[in-house]
Parts: sequence; C-alpha cells; structure tokens
Amino acid sequence: MLLVEDDATIAEFVEKGLREGGFAVDVAADGAAGLQRALGGRYDAAIVDLMLPQLDGLALIDTLRSRGVRTPVLILSARRSVDDRVRGLQAGGDDYLTKPFAFAELLARVQALIRRATGAAEPNRLTVADLSLDLLTRKVHRGQTAIELRPREFALLEYLMRNAGRVVSKTSILSHVWGYNFDPNTNVVDVLVSRLRDRIDRPFAVKLLQTVRGVGYVLREPS
Amino acid sequence: MTIRRMLGLRLSVWYAAVFVIGTIAIAGLTYALLASSLAQRDHDIIFATLREYASRYELGGLPALQRSVELEERTGDRERLFVRVLGPGADAVFTRTPPGWSAYAQEDLDAAGTAADPAHDTRAVLEVASARLSDGTILQVGKSNEIRLALLRKFQWIVGLVSIIALVAGVTGGLVLTRSTVQPIYDLIHVVQGIISTGRTDTRVPDRSAGGDAVDELSALFNTMLDRINRLLAAMGESLDNVAHDLRTPIARLRGIAERALQAGGPAEQKEALETCLEESDRILSMLNTLMDISEAETGVVRLNRENVAVPALLAEVVELYEDVADAKGVNVALEPGDDVTVNAERDRLRQVFANLLDNAIKYTPAGGKVRLSVRRADATAVVSIADTGAGIAPEHLPRIWERLYRADASRSSRGLGLGLSLVKAYVQAHGGTVEAVSEPGVGSTFTVRLPLG
Repeated sequence: MLLVEDDATIAEFVEKGLREGGFAVDVAADGAAGLQRALGGRYDAAIVDLMLPQLDGLALIDTLRSRGVRTPVLILSARRSVDDRVRGLQAGGDDYLTKPFAFAELLARVQALIRRATGAAEPNRLTVADLSLDLLTRKVHRGQTAIELRPREFALLEYLMRNAGRVVSKTSILSHVWGYNFDPNTNVVDVLVSRLRDRIDRPFAVKLLQTVRGVGYVLREPS
Repeated sequence: MTIRRMLGLRLSVWYAAVFVIGTIAIAGLTYALLASSLAQRDHDIIFATLREYASRYELGGLPALQRSVELEERTGDRERLFVRVLGPGADAVFTRTPPGWSAYAQEDLDAAGTAADPAHDTRAVLEVASARLSDGTILQVGKSNEIRLALLRKFQWIVGLVSIIALVAGVTGGLVLTRSTVQPIYDLIHVVQGIISTGRTDTRVPDRSAGGDAVDELSALFNTMLDRINRLLAAMGESLDNVAHDLRTPIARLRGIAERALQAGGPAEQKEALETCLEESDRILSMLNTLMDISEAETGVVRLNRENVAVPALLAEVVELYEDVADAKGVNVALEPGDDVTVNAERDRLRQVFANLLDNAIKYTPAGGKVRLSVRRADATAVVSIADTGAGIAPEHLPRIWERLYRADASRSSRGLGLGLSLVKAYVQAHGGTVEAVSEPGVGSTFTVRLPLG
C-alpha cells in the first residue's frame, strides 16, 4: 500500500490505521517521491492526496496511467465539488474521498478497490455468524428462521454484510442504499437501521448490528 | 497618456487631411468646370457674331456690315469685339478692335487662332475665328478673354481663401472630434489603471450616457460590470464572515468537551467525550458544507448542472426517503396526484430542496398529523406545496425563518442546524424560483415552491 500525503498528522494516522488493518504501508510526503515509489514498486493500491508539493496528485496519477501502471488509486482531497471529483476520476483515479473522512470509510474503500482490482469472485451468499443472506433468491435467514425484509432494509443489510466487521458511516450508507450524496439533515439512516435491527436482532439473543458512536454502524459477532 | 496623445494626434491629422483634400478637390473641380464653361460661352459668342456678320456681308456687302458694326458700337448693344475684313489680296479693308487692342496682321494669328498682346497681361489673348465668304474675302471675329481671366482670378482667390478656412476648420474639428472620441477611452484606461494599481474597485468611469454612442455604452457597461464585481466581492466577504462566526459556537463546544474529559480523567468518561467529539466534528463539517452551499448559491458562483426533471417522480423519491422516518413518528405523508410537470433544474439540488422541506414538515408535526405534498402547473411555473398539520410558526417568527441559523425554537431541543430553510431558499432562487411560507399557529404550515417551467 502506498500513501502519498504531505500532512504529517494525517499521514501518520492513516499509516497506523492501515497497518492495524493488516497492510504494509510506504509513505511519501510529496508528489515527486510518490511517483518514484509508485513507478518502482508493485502496490496493491495507492492513496493519493491531490494538493501535494512538487507534483500535484492529478499529475501524479496521470503520469502513472500514461506509463501503464494500473495500481488502483484512491484520491484524497479537501475539495468536494462535483467538478473536482469528476476531474480526479478522469485523470485515472478509481475512487474519491473528501477530507475530513472517517478512517473506517477509508479502509472500506481501499479494500473495495483491491477487491475490484484483483477480480475477487462475487459470492452469492453472505454470512455473519448465524445470519445469512442469499443474493440470488434475496432470502435472509437467522439460523433456521426466515426473515422478511423490505427492499431498503435488504439493501442496507447487504451493504453491512459486505462490509462485515468494518464500521460504515451514515454518509456511506446513504450513498449506497439510496444513492444520495447529500446530508438529509435528519435521522433517515438511524430510522432504517433501527427497523433492520427490529427484524434481525430483536427476536434473538445475540445482537449483531452495533452502533459505534460518532462513527457509524457495524455488523459483527460480539466478542 | 502617450497612448491618448498618439491616438489623438493620428486621428486629428487624418481628419484634417481628409477634410482639406476634400475641400480643395471640390473647389478645383468647380474651377475647372467654370473655366471651361466660360470659354465655351466666349466661343459661342464669337461664332454667332461671325455667322451674323457673314450673312450681313453677303446681303449688303461691306457697307452693310460697317453700318451694323458701328450701330452696335453706338448703342452698346454688344460687347466690343475684334472685327476685320480681309480683301482678296489679304489686305485689311475693315478693322475694329476692342478698346486697348491694336490690329493684328493675319500672320500674327497663331495656329489656334489666338493672338497675344504684349501690352496687356501676358495671359490675356484675343481669340479669333475666321470665315471665307463667297466673294473670297475673309471675315474675322475675335474676342478678348480679359474679362474671363479676371473672373477666374477672382475665383482663384476665393478657392485659396476657402482652402485656408478648410485647413483651419479641419484641424480644429479634428482636435475637437478626437478629444470627444478619445477622452472616454482615456477615462476608461485611467480607471482601469487605477483599479489595477490600487486594487480599489469603487472608482467609476465618468457618466456620458447622454451621448449614447458605442464608447459611451462601453463606459456604462464597464461601470455596471464593476458594480457587479463589487456586489459579488461584498457578498463573498460577508458569507466568509458568517461562516467564521457560525463555526465559533460548535468549535467552542468541541473544545469544552475535550477539556472537561481531560479533567474528569476516567476512561469511560474519556471514551464518552471522544465519541461526542466525533459527533460534534461531523456536525461542524456538515454545517460548513451547508454554509458553503448556501453561499455559493447566493452569490451566483454556482454552476447548475441542469437537466429535465419530472417533479412528481422527484417528489415520490423524496417521500420514499422519509417514509420510515414519518412512519416511526406516526406522521402520515401523502403525495397527492397532480399535474405532470417537468422543470429544467439540477436534480440533486432540487431533491435537497424538497427533502429539507419535507424533513421540516415531519419534524414539526406531532404524531397523528399529516403532511400533504402536491404539484400543479400554474401559468409558466411549477408549484409545489408541502402542507403540514404541525404546530405552525408564530407570525413574529415567520419572516425570519429563512435566515441562517435562525430557529424559532430557542431551546434548540429539536435536532437540526437551522440552515435547512436558508439552503432551500438559496437553491430555489438559484433556479430562478421563489419559495414562501404561510402558517397558522396550531393549524399548520404550508411551504410553496414556484419554479419556472422550461
């Protein structure tokens, strides 16, 4: 994993988090050094800040792509306009995350990038503990008990199960379940989560869907 | 300065040159026409007289001719011409000369039939025409061109005088014209230079709108542009101030939580404080984003990615988003069947407008209440109404609900930033629409959005 970020504090906290997440991380503090490393080594993925000294992130990605390096790139930027996002993706970035961000979100996106790049086979069944979700028949079971879900609840559960064990933020739930990129300024997500909880957790002893205050939600077996 | 001088000089020299050359050309042409028509007239007189005298001679012989010439001399009927009759031996049998001219021998006549008299003005000549009569005598009639020359000389003087006047008028006119043309441009340059060097955009080009030509219009447009820039700058500065001010409170809160956690010490309290900090920082971020969105929309710097949006479908999406929330609260939300209206707008922003309004409606409507959404077409606008049966808004609060961070509920017990309606208004206005609220406390509120069609 390559991290190109000039802000030392952010670089340190991301590096630490990634290492804890099981990645080996190289850090470059400016664009030129980042390009050197990206061209030299084989990385599973790169995280690139856009505003960098010496060589900006867009130029870096552009150079990488023109030299045929296909390493998936996650762009980090403080700019959040749609135009910036589009420009980043056009330059050859694979995903775009705006600062400030929740680390859990960053980790989830990086893992998704690697998964996409390595072409991991799409499972047709997701399981967490005794909870299972069949992507083909769209049936959900907790143990032997069949659970009826409405489409939005199903979409939320699918998203949580694909990211089982990782905390997902409200913002990413909103964009994955509804496809909205704005803050509806309300508890839309909370309400949907509590409905889902009523279906999959309330009747059962072991609670799988947990709230991580200040960050989001996670689906995992309690330790 | 140099630019103006050079431009001004060039313009006035060109103007004067064109003016003077034009005047001289007209005068010269007139002179040539006059000279040739005067000469033609003299020739006509000579030939007419020659023909008349010839016929008198043929009828009555020399005595008849003599009588007639002398009679004319006495009565002064005719200008005195040169008349000579040459006998068969080429000797003059009869000669009359105009005053001041002496007779000429036949030989003195040059090929053109003119004779010069050294005693006279060197340019004055006697123009003579001859005719051979039936008995072999030669009759000659001539006319002095003195009068013609004098007339033309006078005319030359006039032409000279007119040319001088034209030169003076041309130069003066050129200077005046140049000044009135170049001065506004110079004013413009002066103002632009001032703005570039001082950075102050409050100077204006002098108003010459009375003139109404292209340069004046340019000056007026330039002033309008400066006004617009000033307004934008002021609005941006103001929104920056607002953002800074609005962020102080939540950051102070954030700081307070962290400080208290440090003093309290226990791991449980610290965890709790950290969680609160995260939530608070998310709230600050969300607020900052919303404030920037509002500012962008208000100052008009935002570029809308417009497309055709079917309003009923968009409303249905928004209703679906809030279905669970309304359900959980026991509020009935219904989208009434209405007109199938399509507007040209940015889908995401429009969705956010309706989402914020619906969010508000649900938030302020107690359990068992109703929220009704409807859309209809009226004239050239799409009218979307969102009516609730909530607590309503007191009349003293109603005009202020669109202000940033204004909340009628002073206790701030309801969740929200107090920015939702500001955002609604900014987005609707960015689309060229209007939004208004009517409310009756205890009965409910109705928010109406009007968007131009097309």
